[in-house]
Amino acid sequence: MNCVLDGNCVKAFGKAIHALSRIGDELWLDPMVRGLALRSVNSAHSAYACFLFSPLFFQQYNLGSVSEQGNETIKCKLIMKSVLPLFRCLTSIERNVKRCQISISAPCDRVMIQFFCRHGITKTHNVRFQESEPLQAVFASHLCPNVLKTPPRLLGDMVMHFPVSQEEITLSMTPLRVSLRNYFEGAKDQIKTMHTEITLHPEEFDYFQVGVDLDITFCLKELRGLLAFAEMHCLPVSVHCSATGRPVCFSVEDMVLEATVVLATLTDSESRGPSQPTETPVPTTPRCVYAAALPVGSCEAHSNIPQDIAAVTEIVASSVDSPIINPPALTQLLPQTVIPNEFCVPDAACPSTSTTPASTVICSLLFRALSSDEDEDDGCAAGLNVLACYSDEEETM
Amino acid sequence: MPLSTQSQADDEQYVLIASLDNARHLSNILKAITFKDHAIFTATPNGLKVTVEDSKCLQANAFIQAEIFQEYTIKEDLGFQINLTVLLDCLNIFGGSTVPGVSTALRMCYRGYGYPLTLFLEEAGVVTVCKINTQEPDEPIDFEFCSNNVTNKVILQSESLKDAFSELDMTSEVLQITMSPSQPYFRLSTFGNSGNAHYDYSKDSDMMELFRCTKTQTNKYKMSLLKPSTKALALSCKVSVRTDSRGFLSLQYLVRNDDGQICFVEYYCCPNEEVEED
Repeated sequence: MNCVLDGNCVKAFGKAIHALSRIGDELWLDPMVRGLALRSVNSAHSAYACFLFSPLFFQQYNLGSVSEQGNETIKCKLIMKSVLPLFRCLTSIERNVKRCQISISAPCDRVMIQFFCRHGITKTHNVRFQESEPLQAVFASHLCPNVLKTPPRLLGDMVMHFPVSQEEITLSMTPLRVSLRNYFEGAKDQIKTMHTEITLHPEEFDYFQVGVDLDITFCLKELRGLLAFAEMHCLPVSVHCSATGRPVCFSVEDMVLEATVVLATLTDSESRGPSQPTETPVPTTPRCVYAAALPVGSCEAHSNIPQDIAAVTEIVASSVDSPIINPPALTQLLPQTVIPNEFCVPDAACPSTSTTPASTVICSLLFRALSSDEDEDDGCAAGLNVLACYSDEEETM
Repeated sequence: MPLSTQSQADDEQYVLIASLDNARHLSNILKAITFKDHAIFTATPNGLKVTVEDSKCLQANAFIQAEIFQEYTIKEDLGFQINLTVLLDCLNIFGGSTVPGVSTALRMCYRGYGYPLTLFLEEAGVVTVCKINTQEPDEPIDFEFCSNNVTNKVILQSESLKDAFSELDMTSEVLQITMSPSQPYFRLSTFGNSGNAHYDYSKDSDMMELFRCTKTQTNKYKMSLLKPSTKALALSCKVSVRTDSRGFLSLQYLVRNDDGQICFVEYYCCPNEEVEED
């Protein structure tokens, strides 16, 4: 793979890496025909981000020749700490970098990132990577009953009112209004901190569709990176969500790039229940785990997926060629780090109608490395660990 | 000014008297070489030289010419060893604030062998007298770096190197410097945990003021030894990088102070044992 970005685009690329660094410690680089995807997931597998740069974003974009069968390009996993410093100072990049070349050549285990700067200076970095299955989350945007499209900066301006230390916020939607408020774990926190709630009228949005009343609580810190990116490019942000406990997807796009952040949301008895009566994962503990719904995997998607699966998620086309999977086979193709087995349960029935234990587990945890389908208490406990992880991955500029 | 009211008689006993209206002209330069506590102070009619060494492999020298001082009287060449950290603390005794128009005046006096170095510091009418003990000076290492042996020399504007040095991968044990009459001309390389990095400066770069490389040389230097030179780089406007036939490195920094006067700081560094040719 070999691509060249011109000066202006390097800053955007760097900003994307900044946003991804807020999610996880590793960066997946996936060169595909439809563009270069940069992805990251947090260790708890409750937040995922993907920035896809189309070939038009680049001055040059070559995938190289097909060498082995079915394996045209190398998918790599880089350590965020190795890559972020190269793009740390965006103002200096803007000032000095005329061109950036990124290439991966098959025999070696390094990604070469080369900056051609002013004054005849060239900076070349050869960063080690591990070959890896691509990371990809699955999210059925088109199935979400609630869709918002905010004008540029609106979300950024809203979240600005929350302190930087605010971990989670709750987004409430009804057909009459949308509000954001901070979320507190326990009673004692409520006394000590300042409550902030911002309410917006539907007219503030470029697109407003609220099919179901809902409250979703998600981690704000992980979203800030995307919001900063959207602000830099003056892009509207789309929000797709379906129910409390289901993941929420924030996305931006323009002609040459699309960025998505998918966050798990709390299935919390404290938040107002979802209006879909069938959709009640009864938590066994008052504060339950983040609901996940994104099977992460390298699966090929076709639109003729059985409807009940489609009702739950849509498998997004990935770069790895794999046969069409029937739900039971899903688990077999999963990379070691992904998808709890029970995700395939929906094959039998919609999660909303399945028995409580199964649905609780299905709703728990995005793409965790350890699937504890045996014991839902374990699931919840592990989920509680999930909540503790958030503050760990902060990268400060 | 109180400092100048000392009687002639007092002054007779001093072997060295050096005065500065702004002590920062001295303290800033000294900061560029303060990576060890002790320094060797040498004074000649030409001016002061302060030397700091590290593990016999690195030597840093700061030169403050006589012309920089408002008053510079010396009776004989002299040398002593002194605690540089203490000296800097004294020079900054008034807090080192950067309020414009307010500066610390300095009068440095030395009576000779065995006597402490006396500093009279004054700011806004307040005078402080500091006496710092001196020791027998060690012989500074002679790196035997002479101009005749220089194989490669470049002079760069510090601006361009400052970026590179601030981005250097500190997980790399060595900094490798390649100088060559052909590509890559002048290259700084690091080999760290996440991979390697190369900073190339073309000979045609407008940051390159002088490019005189006769043969391709690649030398590795311990990163820990060269890291302190970043302070000197930060103060300087130009830097000359020279290597000799043995691979010894000389870095010379041109430092301009607030009044536009020029001082020099230089670093000499031994190459790592195994010298690789690229």
